[in-house]
Amino acid sequence: MSSDQDHLRETDTEKRFEFKKEENSAFEAEKGLTEETIRVISEDKDEPQWMLDRRLRALEQFQEMPMPDDWPGAPDLSEVDVDEIVPYIRPDIETRGGAENWEDLPDEIQDTFDKLGIPEAEKNALSGVGAQYESEIVYQNMQERWEDKGVIFCDMDKAVQEHEEIVKEYFMTKAVPPSDNKFAALHGAIWSGGSFVYVPEDTTVDMPVQAYFRMNSDGMGQFEHTLIIAEENSEVHYIEGCSAPKYSAFNLHSGGVEVFVKENAHVQYSTVQNWSKNTYNLNTKRAIAEKDATMEWVSGSMGSKATMLYPSTILKGPGATDNHITIAMAGEGQNIDTGAKVYHNAPDTKSTIESKSISKDGGRTNYRGLVHMADGAENSSTSVECDALMFDNESTSDTMPYMEIQENKVDVAHEATVGKIGDEDVFYLETRGLDDDDAKQMIVAGFIEPITEELPIEYAVELNRLIELEMEGSLG
Amino acid sequence: MSTQVHANLTEEQVAEISEQLDEPEWLLETRLDALDALEDLDMPAVIQTPGREWTNLDALDYESFVDPLEMAQEKDRVDADGVDVLSWSEALDEHGDLIEEQFGSVVDPQRNYLTALSTALFSAGTVVYVPEGVDAEDVKIRTRMNSRALFNYTLVVAEESASVTILERQETGEDSEVASATSDASGRYYSGVVEAVADENAHVQYGALQNLDEDTYNYQVKRGHTDQYATVNWIEGNIGSRLTKTSVETRLLGDSSESKIVGAFFGHEDQHFDLGSRVWHEAEHTTADLVTRGVLDDTARSVYEGVQDVGQDAWDTNSYQRENTLMLSDESEADASPKLIINNHDTEASHSATVGQVDAEDMFYMTSRSIPEQVAENMLVEGFFEPVLSEVAVDEFREDLADLIAHRLRE
Repeated sequence: MSSDQDHLRETDTEKRFEFKKEENSAFEAEKGLTEETIRVISEDKDEPQWMLDRRLRALEQFQEMPMPDDWPGAPDLSEVDVDEIVPYIRPDIETRGGAENWEDLPDEIQDTFDKLGIPEAEKNALSGVGAQYESEIVYQNMQERWEDKGVIFCDMDKAVQEHEEIVKEYFMTKAVPPSDNKFAALHGAIWSGGSFVYVPEDTTVDMPVQAYFRMNSDGMGQFEHTLIIAEENSEVHYIEGCSAPKYSAFNLHSGGVEVFVKENAHVQYSTVQNWSKNTYNLNTKRAIAEKDATMEWVSGSMGSKATMLYPSTILKGPGATDNHITIAMAGEGQNIDTGAKVYHNAPDTKSTIESKSISKDGGRTNYRGLVHMADGAENSSTSVECDALMFDNESTSDTMPYMEIQENKVDVAHEATVGKIGDEDVFYLETRGLDDDDAKQMIVAGFIEPITEELPIEYAVELNRLIELEMEGSLG
Repeated sequence: MSTQVHANLTEEQVAEISEQLDEPEWLLETRLDALDALEDLDMPAVIQTPGREWTNLDALDYESFVDPLEMAQEKDRVDADGVDVLSWSEALDEHGDLIEEQFGSVVDPQRNYLTALSTALFSAGTVVYVPEGVDAEDVKIRTRMNSRALFNYTLVVAEESASVTILERQETGEDSEVASATSDASGRYYSGVVEAVADENAHVQYGALQNLDEDTYNYQVKRGHTDQYATVNWIEGNIGSRLTKTSVETRLLGDSSESKIVGAFFGHEDQHFDLGSRVWHEAEHTTADLVTRGVLDDTARSVYEGVQDVGQDAWDTNSYQRENTLMLSDESEADASPKLIINNHDTEASHSATVGQVDAEDMFYMTSRSIPEQVAENMLVEGFFEPVLSEVAVDEFREDLADLIAHRLRE
């Protein structure tokens, strides 16, 4: 590891995520969700009529749809009362669409992201950075050379204004329609902030772009929307980080992500989520992959009280590929319900899903996945591997895969294992002079290594730090 | 939903069935309670994913099938030394107390609409009673269904250190034509409930070979309870029926008890098999092994759900599950959902599932030895079932199943 990353090792990760700032906003919507609230938000954003219409239609769908509360083992969402959250908070900043310099931001926001290490990471390893505070992007910048090539990386609200035609075509129309599920509908009604990424043909953005989402206020909901369009033969890696300090009231994060991977393009979407343990994290993420395109999802779910996250890929074009890598860790009071969905709708498509979960101190991890092979998806293959590690008897780990195979010229394989941390492995390491805690941490690090090695080094280090933090002092 | 069948059923009809079998009062009450509960009960759960229901039970049109007083069947029961294999009336006569104690203790009569219907209406029943220490092999039960609907109930009780191997065959009798001629609609309904109780150190192997007429809707629940050191093994062969929904289950209630659930199916034409294998680990040092292999041809569909549930008190659990489906036709469909529910970390559990076609390299190897393509495919299909067939302890069952498989292969 180079010395560039030393700051990440030295940082006190717990302090980095747990600090709180004064709640200081320019505009705060009323609690709850009414047509009026949505009109106010839309007006505050000066949106075109079609966007307001889409929001209102989504609101109707939200009100009609049932809560997803009949899934076996799924998190209890009875506490999630949308009327109790503040759906929209515009922080007190002058520049709409995000400042281009950290110095232009109010001190407390600047300080927030400093502590989270975002400007530092930008300097070292990223092509562009967006930072969202409450409901709005406050900082957005990309290296000039990408701008020159026609790459767009901007705040989603700004994209509605400046790239209206593209947004109108893709925004919650093809990948995640609000009718998909109740929280997608909620998202469609009150979305705010998020990133718009557009990569033109034949362009490879060789360093990742990153967006960081921070909730600071008590009882708020964050509903950012991310839209990524990678044109033919292009390549981009998008990284999303999330955190919030812990409050007594619940917070709700319900993001929407739509990715369009055109012919022969390659998109990687990586998330490391460390929401505070009072956050309900209910996201809808979906990609559509055209001919010979590759979509990769890498998700680390460490935080939140409850997470429901099943990134999906529709393999629409022949030869398209999908790779899912998921890691989930649930400690006391957490229910991390994650998985993947892949639809093989064309011949010669390929998918792999690798899921690793760790549950401890009464935490619960669920893997819930669906692989669908449509009739005509000849010569397609899928391989699903789920491994779960359990630390104690209070914890729970469920694996619930669903396979729907309508084509016979396919290769479908699913494998899953569940087990406890190996006493012999711990003993072996202890005989080499490690203490019990270190031995177990090392085993966990080894368990998730296939996943961390897919992440950029900063994130791999971060993930390991988070896991160490989760495990500290909790091992018997 | 055609679950309105109970509208045509009356307490008098249920009472008449009970009376014909000369049943005690408690059993009549149980039947009437089940009849009464129909109103509020749901159909058995079916897996649903966005936009897709894996099995459509609405196709079960009971009203046209079920005439509660018009049920006919033939049964051959072959017993073994020291075991009582009794018809329902005989069993009530000889083991009334045992039946009162065990009936409904393993499969809740009001588990769902179809089990309640079965409880209210069953007229065919068998009790296998294996006294303490008796080691019995090759109990055989052959059921031939001779009416449009048949509700069948089986209770197996193996006392301490007893051992029994049971083979049940389910077929449609030849004179059933007579019965179905009285109605215009086609279709039959077979409903079977099996309860197995294995006391300490007892060993029960229950094999069922279902080869019902292919216009039959078939619903079956088989469930066993194990005491300490006991074993309940299930083997299921599904060949016949138009639509089958079954669940084969074991609750491992005693320490160091074991269960193996083995399944084989071969669907063709428009057959639909919805098969469940479920095991609950509820004590220490228990072991379970679930193995299912199936082949689909033509437009046949299979649905498989396997559940390994490890309870919080199930220390030192070993639990394994494998499911493999071979698709011979482009029009066939296979859905599978193997599930792990783990509440105790002191567990070694795994499952795997595959779906695919006959291995291309194997085919190439065979055809390069100048074996014609269809013959090669047939040999590979027969070979595919081998790991399941080798689990079958009863020779006769194994041979019958192998014959049925061979018979179904393409010419």
